[in-house]
Amino acid sequence: MSNVILFNLTTVLFGVASALYLGALYAKNDRIAVFGTWTCVLAAVVSTAALGVRWYESYQMGIGRIPVTNLYESLVFFAWSVNLLYLVVERKYGSRTFGAFVMPIAFATMLFAVYNDSSIQPLVPALQSYWLHAHVITCFVGYAAFAVSAGVALMYLLKARQEEAKISEGVVGLLPECKMLDDLIYRSIIWGFPFLTAGIITGAAWANYAWGTYWSWDPKETWSLIVWLVYAAFLHARVTRGWHGRRAAILSIVGFLATIMCYLGVNLVLSGLHSYGGG
Amino acid sequence: MADEKPAPSPIDRVWNFFISVKLAIITLIVLAVTSIFGTIIEQNQPPEKYHQIYEDWSFALMDRLNLFDMYHSWWFLLMLVLFTVNLSCCTIDRFPKMLKVVRNPRTKLDENLEKTLSLADRWKKKGTLSDWAATYAAALSSSFAKPMVTEQGNEVHLYAESGVASRFGVYVTHLSIIIIFIGAILGNVLGFKGYVNIPEGEAVAQVPVRGGSRTQDLGFTVRCNAFSLETYPSGQPKAYKSDLSVIEGGREVARKTIVVNDPLQHKGIWFYQSSYGQAGGATARVAVARKDGTPMATLALAANETVPVDGYGVIRGVNYDQNFQGNGPALQVVVEKPGKPAASFWLFQSRPDLDRQRNDSVILSFGGLTAKMFTGLQVAKDPGVNIVWLGCALMVIGIIMAFFLSHQRVWVRLAQGADGRVEVVLAGTASRNRLAFEKRFERIQTNVKAVGL
Repeated sequence: MSNVILFNLTTVLFGVASALYLGALYAKNDRIAVFGTWTCVLAAVVSTAALGVRWYESYQMGIGRIPVTNLYESLVFFAWSVNLLYLVVERKYGSRTFGAFVMPIAFATMLFAVYNDSSIQPLVPALQSYWLHAHVITCFVGYAAFAVSAGVALMYLLKARQEEAKISEGVVGLLPECKMLDDLIYRSIIWGFPFLTAGIITGAAWANYAWGTYWSWDPKETWSLIVWLVYAAFLHARVTRGWHGRRAAILSIVGFLATIMCYLGVNLVLSGLHSYGGG
Repeated sequence: MADEKPAPSPIDRVWNFFISVKLAIITLIVLAVTSIFGTIIEQNQPPEKYHQIYEDWSFALMDRLNLFDMYHSWWFLLMLVLFTVNLSCCTIDRFPKMLKVVRNPRTKLDENLEKTLSLADRWKKKGTLSDWAATYAAALSSSFAKPMVTEQGNEVHLYAESGVASRFGVYVTHLSIIIIFIGAILGNVLGFKGYVNIPEGEAVAQVPVRGGSRTQDLGFTVRCNAFSLETYPSGQPKAYKSDLSVIEGGREVARKTIVVNDPLQHKGIWFYQSSYGQAGGATARVAVARKDGTPMATLALAANETVPVDGYGVIRGVNYDQNFQGNGPALQVVVEKPGKPAASFWLFQSRPDLDRQRNDSVILSFGGLTAKMFTGLQVAKDPGVNIVWLGCALMVIGIIMAFFLSHQRVWVRLAQGADGRVEVVLAGTASRNRLAFEKRFERIQTNVKAVGL
């Protein structure tokens, strides 16, 4: 399948981009990072094309459906979202150092995807709904925003240690200042939060239309609520109690771990209504 | 001692407990952490299943803590109540204050306010106070928002704001949660959820309610006319279809073929395709025709059931083979005619004419097996669901208002200075996203400073 070849190429490009960004940090050479950016742009083009080709190929097979319906597809879609969101952040904040912390997430996701079944399977009756599109896309944009936030939170924790000691040296010295990282952690979450909310709501609406219950405390639903509660706590702590800096960064990482559990853990470890997502 | 604050009364202390954001954060975290249990321990399974997994003592402990149905346990519901009370109290406490601030904005930039604003710029201009006030008011209008002008002594204050709606975002979001809870409670109290199997050709007027022994009268009858299963060429299921009729007073008032994700609704009661299965044994279709080909009857033979054929005898299906001697599906029948020995022979589905070779007075042909199916339907009535959707819509709107709008305020104070020049102070603040506002403030600053008389 040509879409799989394109996705494999995307994996390689994400790997190259991660290496370039990390290399740029170690060599303290921003010019290497520029190549990283172009690699990311190329990867964005290739992966977008791959999604399009996969969609087209599904029609050729007489199945015809959006490519976000099994674990392989959701992983590549997640990586695609992270890459695009990263490029937006890089452009907006004008620092290429984020790449070393965010692009490895996209690369690892693609590596994991490669080990999963990449064949295009027809949709089981439960998934044949227009809600599928709205539900999956909103969830994954949310997940991607949380991934960016967690990557930046990691940068913050490294940088904060140096700023407290009033030194700026080595790889960490090149990272943007804490104020900016702290702001970006928050900004990513306020983007992710409404998308996650919309993802949960579209999921509930779909469940109601398919099963007659909008909420049944299925493990996937519950974990999405857990993620929502963690980020709601983050936002309350930040907005009303002035939680900045280290505590906010740690909460962002906890939120992303819960997100990973919601996305992958539930399918791989637990059982429930979303079990088709596990294959 | 006079300057010591009086100790808060018990009522105040309770109130202060419920209006604290700290309580909200703790409740959110505790809800998140405890919710994990119910995802690890499978919920609402029969006790035998738990006994297989857990030791007796841990079973007893978990049962005691309601961990097998934790989301409906008294302690989880109590936490949800605490969460809602906290939310409501916070709103009651803060909303009027917010409204007061929004209705009576600080239109004058006095020194106290000025000290609290980190974004500020000061300069002096030659000219008259009123001319500069008018010029800067126009500049502020074009670069930010139309200002309110307050004249006070030898000072003129300009005040402009935008995004005041962002102040309401948090209240819209909180209200939305309460609306969702109200919708959920209404649905639980006034609605029902049930499940029913209807064999093809049969009808039901009542459905058993899930998780109880009660049955619910529908107020009408639902008949399953037919059920069919479609598969992809690979054999995977493609569609489960139930042809349903709604019957009221003996008349069919609605008919719809439902599939998963496309339910039937009648009088607020929804029917969802959920399951299916075979209802009873299969029957074999056997067509009976005269020698010249005119059809006489079509029989549905249940296994080993004797069926009479007028003017001929009795027929009984005794055996079925999916691929008899390599010739595909076939039915073995026994025919008994009055006064003659019973004859047993095979009828092949793929060769309906083969029976002519028997040279009997009738020709029998096998039309295949028909399995009678039943459809399994989730049945639900939820009068609260639209309230829930209203709450959901408000929640998304509220979150966007709260985080993507920012209440931005800009003041200009003009004062006649001692040296005859006009002293100008430009200051601003934003409720959210100060970094972005800093950039906007810089632009306002540049625009305002650039204008001349």
